[in-house]
Amino acid sequence: MTSAERPWTAFYGADVRPDIGDPPYRTIGDLIRSVSETYGKAPAFTACLPNGMNGTLSFTQVDQMSDSFAVYLREVAGLTQGDRVALQMPNGLAFPVAAFGILKAGCVLVNINPLYTAEEMSKQFVDAEPHALVILDMFADKVPQATRGHPIPNIIVTRIAEFLPALPRGIVGLVQKYWDQSVKPVEVPHIRLPDALAAGRAHQQAEKIEVDAYHQSIGPDDVACLQYTGGTTGVAKGAMLTHSNLIMNMSQSMELISGLKKGEEVALTALPMYHIFAFTVNLLGFYWLGARNVLIPNPRPLSTLKRAFENYKITWMSGVNTLFNGLTNELWFTDSPPKHLKFASAGGMALQSLVAARWEEITGKPVVQGYGLTETSPVLTFEPLGKKRPGTIGVPIPSTLLACLDEEGREVAQGQPGEIAAKGPQVMAGYWNKPDETAKVMKDGWFLTGDIGVMDADGYFTIVDRKKDMVVVSGFNVYPNEIEDCLTTHPGILESAVIGVPDASTGEVVKAFVVARDPSLTEADVRAHCKAHLTAYKIPKRVEFRTELPKSNVGKILRKDLRAEELAQQAAE
Amino acid sequence: MVSPLEQAVLALMIFAIMLGMGASLTPRDFYLALRRPYGLMIGLVSQYGFMPLIGFLLATLLAVPEAIAIGILIMSCMPGGTTSNIFTYFSKGNLALSVLMTVTSTVAGVVMIPLVLVIYATALDLEIPRENIIATLILLLVPVGIGMVLRKINANIGAVTEFFGSVLGVVFILFLIVSWIPRNWQFLLETSGSTYVAAIGIGAAGITIGYFFARALKLHPRNARTVALETGIQNGPLALAIIVFTFSGEEADALTAVPVLYSLFIVIIATLVTFVFRRANAAAEQRLPDGLL
Repeated sequence: MTSAERPWTAFYGADVRPDIGDPPYRTIGDLIRSVSETYGKAPAFTACLPNGMNGTLSFTQVDQMSDSFAVYLREVAGLTQGDRVALQMPNGLAFPVAAFGILKAGCVLVNINPLYTAEEMSKQFVDAEPHALVILDMFADKVPQATRGHPIPNIIVTRIAEFLPALPRGIVGLVQKYWDQSVKPVEVPHIRLPDALAAGRAHQQAEKIEVDAYHQSIGPDDVACLQYTGGTTGVAKGAMLTHSNLIMNMSQSMELISGLKKGEEVALTALPMYHIFAFTVNLLGFYWLGARNVLIPNPRPLSTLKRAFENYKITWMSGVNTLFNGLTNELWFTDSPPKHLKFASAGGMALQSLVAARWEEITGKPVVQGYGLTETSPVLTFEPLGKKRPGTIGVPIPSTLLACLDEEGREVAQGQPGEIAAKGPQVMAGYWNKPDETAKVMKDGWFLTGDIGVMDADGYFTIVDRKKDMVVVSGFNVYPNEIEDCLTTHPGILESAVIGVPDASTGEVVKAFVVARDPSLTEADVRAHCKAHLTAYKIPKRVEFRTELPKSNVGKILRKDLRAEELAQQAAE
Repeated sequence: MVSPLEQAVLALMIFAIMLGMGASLTPRDFYLALRRPYGLMIGLVSQYGFMPLIGFLLATLLAVPEAIAIGILIMSCMPGGTTSNIFTYFSKGNLALSVLMTVTSTVAGVVMIPLVLVIYATALDLEIPRENIIATLILLLVPVGIGMVLRKINANIGAVTEFFGSVLGVVFILFLIVSWIPRNWQFLLETSGSTYVAAIGIGAAGITIGYFFARALKLHPRNARTVALETGIQNGPLALAIIVFTFSGEEADALTAVPVLYSLFIVIIATLVTFVFRRANAAAEQRLPDGLL
């Protein structure tokens, strides 16, 4: 049995087509327009804050507001087709308005983690060269430092309670300003999102602008998003995802949902939509389904989700292992599990079978797991309902071919380990401005995932190793080079090596081996230094001091030796 | 003493605060508290078992005049007060359980207060003003019910009501403390040390014993904190009303010393306990690892 015969299709549910055909829409702009015409005044997005304050936009409103934003970008800010627009915000009503507006304008959306430090932001800005930035006021204080030397001409500022009714919006604003003091004054020239929309709308009416013309002038193979994954050399690397990539992966993922009806569902989005999994499945997929999408700006601590579960009849949610595990440990959740829930989707990191079993026991509903990469928009495989095989990543999704290849690019014998390679409509167009990096992962029409896997006789895949040094911390990629570069800027550190080690709660954690120059250097010093330059998930959770590091005869630090040592030690325990 | 106008203002404030508290609740919260009536029973035992015993011990051990001793006894066998719900809300306890405990202990009070007093003070024949009991229940249940309905109608109206209710709650607590001290300054100076010990001791011991009793019976920490506040915080105004109804003249004045002093100190003690409970609640929040989410 070879992968070309697609043995896995025998395990698809009765209502899952092995091939889903051509993209149902040319561009995401067409998708948004068409869906909004179908569902009109029905609620499309509801932002739910921890205290239950909320705001809702209908399909028509999101469509019209994103039109205004598209016109603002093209006519007022003067952007042209293909210009990059960075979007840096957590979930909220402003997210779909801005994201859809950018895509309708024919511009390229660059998602940025709002928790990034100014240095991390700067790396992405230098690489993507955005012409505009849409950012939440809480994070705007990082902009001056992040854009030093490479200014962004248009800055649009939004807020957490954007588009909520006036009274809750005012209360949230006052609490943030005077009680939390989480909003600092914005010190760069900027425009507020509602003002930008008003300007766009005024221009659209005065000049009789047809927004459809923007997205009709681009094609399915034009880039929609630059989705950054970090890079093996420590430099940010943006995966170019086209309109067709995203539409197809959304359709492929929607093919797998079970028991849901178009226009009737209420979905919960606790995962951040700047991450590719929630972007494709929640933002695009839930919208396409005509669902009311309940957006959670910040699910930490998990008790902030209580009001959303109480106030809305959630029928579908997506999450990561951390979320499912966390909820099954919350008394308020286990005491009265959501009774309308039909289905849940997991991604980002491996869902532990124990967590999945506990979730199904408490809610009585299945959770289906997918596997994928940023470069594949992201979903590649899923676990067929009722035919799970613990330890595997399941089988390829419809219209997708997976195979395990050897060093020469030939498929290995079934049951033998090889690098998992993918072919399908969701595979990216390449890395932005990095043809060498693209050439390394795209060979003979295959995308090489860097994961070493095995395919069984039925077409289920299992990951056995990883080719790249990348560490995956609860759904986020961490590249050792970036952390090592940061560590060596500390004057007390001579050299360092960073690896990922297995961890029960996050899949892997970052571990740093440090050779100190300054004998008084402590673990806390190392962490504090990292904290100043890196987002929380990249900071080494474990630090070990060594007098020397294993090196090859040309002086290259051997991370694989350290990893082997670590695994042997963990096995011994 | 408090003037009728002030009383009306306080009642109105409590009504508005409870409206806000109610808007944080759903029928499911009550259903869950009733489904496992264990917590409710522990609360009742703590309320009418331990509190009167604490009062009796304080009255016996402290060498106090008889009028003060009776004041201590009456204070200690009162049901839970509405303030306990406000403090439970701020300490992030189980508000539905707190409301249910206040209601049950108030209703049960009609039988339990005379019964407990028979045990600890055989000669004491008290007049229990039914209208006060009913007023307490109405002032609690009506706004809570309206608050819940508001939230059901529109989650934003509910959340805004809750926000203003909680702001008013803070104002109310500060108002109680700030207005009470200057008004009763002379009384504070004249009151004996043992009366202070008794007035502070009832609340402090009630909260402490209520908490450890509930924990010992394996109640969830959040519910144990609720039982603690409910046990320690008594219905002060009801004690005053009972005294005014039953006694007269100088005797009544002497009897009110403990309830009046208790009412001041319980607000201070409960405020401090609330800070401790909030911290315990935050410490018990699940630590989510850094990463996606």
